Amino acid sequence: MPRIVCIGPYKPQLLEPERFQLFVENDKIIDVNIELGYVHRGVEDLFTKRTYMQNLALAERICGICSGVHTLCYAQTAESIMDVEVPDRARYLRCIYMELERLHSHFLWFGVLAHTLHEHKVFLKVMTERERIQALLEYLTGNRIHYLINTVGGVRRDITPKKAERIRDVLKDMKDLSNYLLMLLNNDGVFVEKTEGVGVLSRSIALDVGAVGPTLRGSGVKSDIRRDDSYAAYGEIDFEITTEDEGDVLARTRVRARETLESIRIIEQSLQNLPEGEISVKPGEPLEKEEIGRAEAPRGELIYYIRSNGTNIPERVKIRTPSFANVFALTEMLRGDNIQNARLIIESIDPCFACTDRITIIDRNTGRRQIWG
Amino acid sequence: MAETKIAVYRFMSAGCNGCDVQILECLVPRYKLGELGIEVVFTPEEANVLAVTGSLNIKGAEELKKAYEKLKPPRIVVAIGNCATTRGIFSEGYPIVGPPDRLIPVSLYIPGCPPRPQAIVSAIAKVLGAHLDEEEDYWKAPEGFRGRHEFDVEKCMACGACAQVCSSDAIEVSDSDGKRLIRINYARCTFCGFCQDECPTQAIRLTREYHLSTDDKETAYVTNEVEMLRCHICGSYYVPSEQIKWAIGRIMDKVAAYRDLRKRLEDAMQICPTCRRKIGNIENAKRLLANLTIKTRKS
Repeated sequence: MPRIVCIGPYKPQLLEPERFQLFVENDKIIDVNIELGYVHRGVEDLFTKRTYMQNLALAERICGICSGVHTLCYAQTAESIMDVEVPDRARYLRCIYMELERLHSHFLWFGVLAHTLHEHKVFLKVMTERERIQALLEYLTGNRIHYLINTVGGVRRDITPKKAERIRDVLKDMKDLSNYLLMLLNNDGVFVEKTEGVGVLSRSIALDVGAVGPTLRGSGVKSDIRRDDSYAAYGEIDFEITTEDEGDVLARTRVRARETLESIRIIEQSLQNLPEGEISVKPGEPLEKEEIGRAEAPRGELIYYIRSNGTNIPERVKIRTPSFANVFALTEMLRGDNIQNARLIIESIDPCFACTDRITIIDRNTGRRQIWG
Repeated sequence: MAETKIAVYRFMSAGCNGCDVQILECLVPRYKLGELGIEVVFTPEEANVLAVTGSLNIKGAEELKKAYEKLKPPRIVVAIGNCATTRGIFSEGYPIVGPPDRLIPVSLYIPGCPPRPQAIVSAIAKVLGAHLDEEEDYWKAPEGFRGRHEFDVEKCMACGACAQVCSSDAIEVSDSDGKRLIRINYARCTFCGFCQDECPTQAIRLTREYHLSTDDKETAYVTNEVEMLRCHICGSYYVPSEQIKWAIGRIMDKVAAYRDLRKRLEDAMQICPTCRRKIGNIENAKRLLANLTIKTRKS
C-alpha cells in the first residue's frame, strides 16, 4: 500500500498555493495527483465583460511575474483582429521590455532555487541584484510588476537616450550576475550535486506530453517561439537558442542561466538598432473573425485565442499558458524519483499557478466538457 | 533591534502573485526588516501576523479561516494589494468570495497594484512606531510612476470619460443636489493610467505618491465635486456646467460656420434632453436648426 504525501496547498515555501498528492513506496514516488484551483479567478470569463483596451490591464494580472508577455501576446492577437500594423520602433521597444522581464523572471527563479537548496547567501545576492531590474522597469514604465507597456497598436512609453543609458548601466551588472550563476552551475558545489540527475525528462517524453520553454529546451529540443514563429523584432535580431541534452533539473537551470546572457545580447542589439519613428498607432475597428497569437514567455510558449463578433468587447478569449503545458511534464518527472527531491522538481519547471488554474464545466445532459481559465 | 518580534505568514489566494513577489523583495537587505524585528515564517503556527494577498476564491476561503485560527495572538491581519483590499479587477469573477475582510478581521490595508516594497515596509514600520530613514534615493518613486490620482480642480469638468475607460470600475460618477461627484477608489484601481490618457482636459494625473496604507478602506478615495447646470425649462440638474462650456468651445473651434450662433447654441444647450424632445420646444429647435442649416450652406 503506497504512502500518500501531500505538499501544499499552504504549507511549503512555494510562491503560490497548490496541492500535490504524492503516492510514495519505499521513498520512491510512484504516482502524483495535482489539485489545481487555489488561484483560480475566472479570468477568461472576465475577458468577455470588458473592452479590448480594458482587457490589457486584466491580461496583465493573470500573472505577476510574466505580466508583460501576457499583454504582448494579447495585444498581438487583438492587432490581427483589428488589422493593425505596429510601427518598427514599437517592435524593437517590445523586445527590450520583454527581455528585461525574462531577466527578472529567470533571476527570481534562481533565487527560489537557491532558497530551496538553503544557499542563503546566493539567494540574497540574486534577489538584491534582481531588484535593480525591477527598479529599472519601474523607471521605464511606471510600475514595478504591471508595466502595462504594450498596448493594441504599439507601446505606451518610449525609451529616451537617457533611459537607454540607464538600461546599459544595469545590464553591465546583470552580465556579471549571469556569469556568476553559470560559474556556480559549472563548478562542483551544492548547485550541481543536488540537481544533477534529478527529475529527468527524456526528449521523447518531453515531446509527447507537450512540454514548452526551458523545460523542453532542457531536454534537448531546439524550440523557441521567438525563432519558430518570430514576432516583434526577434526575426531581425541575432540570438542563440540555448539547449541542454540531459533533461534533469541541472540542465533546465543551465538553460535558464544561459538564456539570461542571450536576453542581455538581445536588449543590447535592440538598443543599438532602434529605428526612429512612432511608438504606436491608433487601432481600427475590430473585425468579425477569430485569431490565435503566440509568444515566448519566460516559462515557454503562451497562446491567446480571441473570437470577435465585431463589437468592442471580445466574444471569447482562451489562454494556454506555459505552466499549464508543463504541469503534465511535471507528473512524468516526479514519477520514479526520490520523495526528497519532490520540491526541487516541482520548482524546476518554474511553475506559475496563477496562470495554470482552470475550471472544467461539464454539461450534465450532454456530457460536454468546457475548460475555462 | 525593535522589541516586538513579528513573524509574518504569507497567505495567497486568487491573486496574480505580483504582491507576493513584492513581499519577497522586502527581504532584500536594504529594507532592513531584520532591524525592525520582522521575520517571514512558513507555517501559520509560528506566526502572529498574517499577510493576505489576492482576492480569495472559494477554495482558498476555508484555508484562510484555518490559517487565521492557527495564528498566535495578537493575530494581526494585513491585507496587501488591491485584490486583498477590495477584490480589485477580479470583482466580478465567479469563484471570488473575498475580499478577505469578509471572513476575518483585517487591521491594516496596503493598497497598490502591487504596492512597492517601500510602501509595505514603511506601513509596517508605522504600525510598530519605528522610525525609518526614508532619505535614500530608492524611497522616492521615479518620474512617470503611476501612483495615487490627483484632480486638477480647475480643469476637471466631471464629464465621466475616466469612468468609461477605467479597467477595474474604480471610478464612480454620481449626481446629487446639483453637484456631480467623481470618486476614484484607489484601493480598487489597477493604476493602468487609462483615465489619465483619456481625460479630455488633462485633469487627472497619477502622482508619485505611493504610501497609501490605511486602517479604514472607506477613506481610500480621491474625489472631486463639480457644479451642475439646471435645465431652464424643468429645473432639473442634468449636466455639469463646465462640460457645456467645453462642448460649445469645441464646436466653435471646429465649425467656423457656427461662430455667429454662439448665443443661440448656448441657449439651446441649457435645456435638458427630455425637455428638448417635448412638443413645446419644437418651434425653438426648428428655428435653431433652420439657422444652422442656412449657415452651413452658405459656407
